[in-house]
Amino acid sequence: MSTERILRKIFFVEILKGLALTFRTLFTHPVTRRYPKEKRPVSPGFRGLHALAKNEEGKMKCVGCGLCGAYCPSKCIHIYTSEGEDHTKVVDRYEIEVLRCIFCGFCVEACPFGAITLSEHFEYSDYSREPFYMTKDKLLANWDKYFAGPKGQRYFENFWRPRISDLTAPEGQAMFKNIKVKDAKP
Amino acid sequence: MNGATTGNLLMDIVVILIKIAVVVAVALLHVAYATYWERKVIGHMQVRLGPREVGPYGLLQPIADGVKLFFKEDIIPANADKPLFYLAPVIFFIAALSSLAVIPFFNSFVVADINIGLLFLFAMSSLGAYGIVLSGWASNSKYAFLGGLRSASQVISYEIAMGLSLVGVMMMAGSLNLSEIVRAQHEFVTGFYAIPQIIGFFVFVVAAFAETNRLPFDLPEAESELVAGYFTEYSGFRFALFFLGEYTGMLIMSSIASICFLGGWTIPQYVTSVLPFLAFVPGIIWFLVKVYAFMFFYYWVRATLPRYRYDRLMAIGWKLLIPLALLNIVLTALVKIALKGQV
Repeated sequence: MSTERILRKIFFVEILKGLALTFRTLFTHPVTRRYPKEKRPVSPGFRGLHALAKNEEGKMKCVGCGLCGAYCPSKCIHIYTSEGEDHTKVVDRYEIEVLRCIFCGFCVEACPFGAITLSEHFEYSDYSREPFYMTKDKLLANWDKYFAGPKGQRYFENFWRPRISDLTAPEGQAMFKNIKVKDAKP
Repeated sequence: MNGATTGNLLMDIVVILIKIAVVVAVALLHVAYATYWERKVIGHMQVRLGPREVGPYGLLQPIADGVKLFFKEDIIPANADKPLFYLAPVIFFIAALSSLAVIPFFNSFVVADINIGLLFLFAMSSLGAYGIVLSGWASNSKYAFLGGLRSASQVISYEIAMGLSLVGVMMMAGSLNLSEIVRAQHEFVTGFYAIPQIIGFFVFVVAAFAETNRLPFDLPEAESELVAGYFTEYSGFRFALFFLGEYTGMLIMSSIASICFLGGWTIPQYVTSVLPFLAFVPGIIWFLVKVYAFMFFYYWVRATLPRYRYDRLMAIGWKLLIPLALLNIVLTALVKIALKGQV
């Protein structure tokens, strides 16, 4: 053993270094966030509680195509539709079992109309299972609650832009109703 | 026996009882806030906040913890040895509390000013080990039993080193009475014994950590190996007794360090000659400052060092600390003979 190593051992240099480190840390600012009082800002595209988007007229955007339910890996979206008076499709029930949802966001990506959204709200604990079974009315109310004003607009523009709005297709190709087809690329 | 002596005796008993009540109440309050302080210090050393929610700055946290422990369900294992199970935490707690009797908190304030104060402290700290061993045995659980066994061997090994480390202090002070030791330090040139007795102080510090089962020697209650060690099966108030006993033990060890090595309630004479106003500060303040500094060192080491392996623990105790303590005794004796010029 070299003299230096013996000296290091006798005077506990390693332990003293460790003690110095912890003592310095004592005066640093703690990284703790005191959660209920101090909330962490939600990142863009956060996947929280579901909401059904409304258009400018306040009507539900969803047309009941069922793509979200088909994509859903945990099969927690249930859609029941019927035929309306002028042969249009009417969404009778749109239900999400939130407790089964894994918040992957596939439904939002799948939706061609930007109708299903995931809000930034994540504090919805409760004592029974019923509040977690989202019906159509509750989902539409969620939109008013969590996407009021320009927030809903920004939601799609900044992050979950519906793919259909970028879609270009040749004139005359079969498309979803009400979606304007942009000019075909040369 | 005439009326006057009976009256004096009663008076003495009343005074002693009041002293005991004051010491126990103040010590337990200190113990409660030692837990708060420990959580704060370790929290900040780990870049956390520590308790903040109960009361301003979390100051009522120890009280909330105490209330919780009092009202918790008291569970006793079905196959436990019931009398010993009841007895063990009481032994542990009583042993820790009775050590408080001989500690001089400031000049001439001590419940029992006995001439073998230091030996009494050793005896009580070994008696506390009985509580641990009995709790391990009586719980009828393998974790508690292993914790008890570990504690027994650890405390016995480190007791020797601790006793020997204080022999140097006894030789320098020429007394086992703790008040006399403090007065002798006040007369001494450095004002405290930690400087000439640096080896003894080092051995004492390490042995005190092992004796109170604190990190890095908390093998009797190693969470990762033994769940909670000897008090695995205890809950509610009985657990609280172990907890209080452990922290009282820390307080006692800090007090011994303060009294035997750091000058107790006095400050060195050369300090008071330079800064005379410091002499008006009550002795209890100096005593508490030294005790708190040592307690802080407990927490500091806990936040820094990992737990030792068991064979390393034994190796440190027997192969390092005991030879060092013996060396310290020999050196102290030789220096004392050389200074006095007589054999």
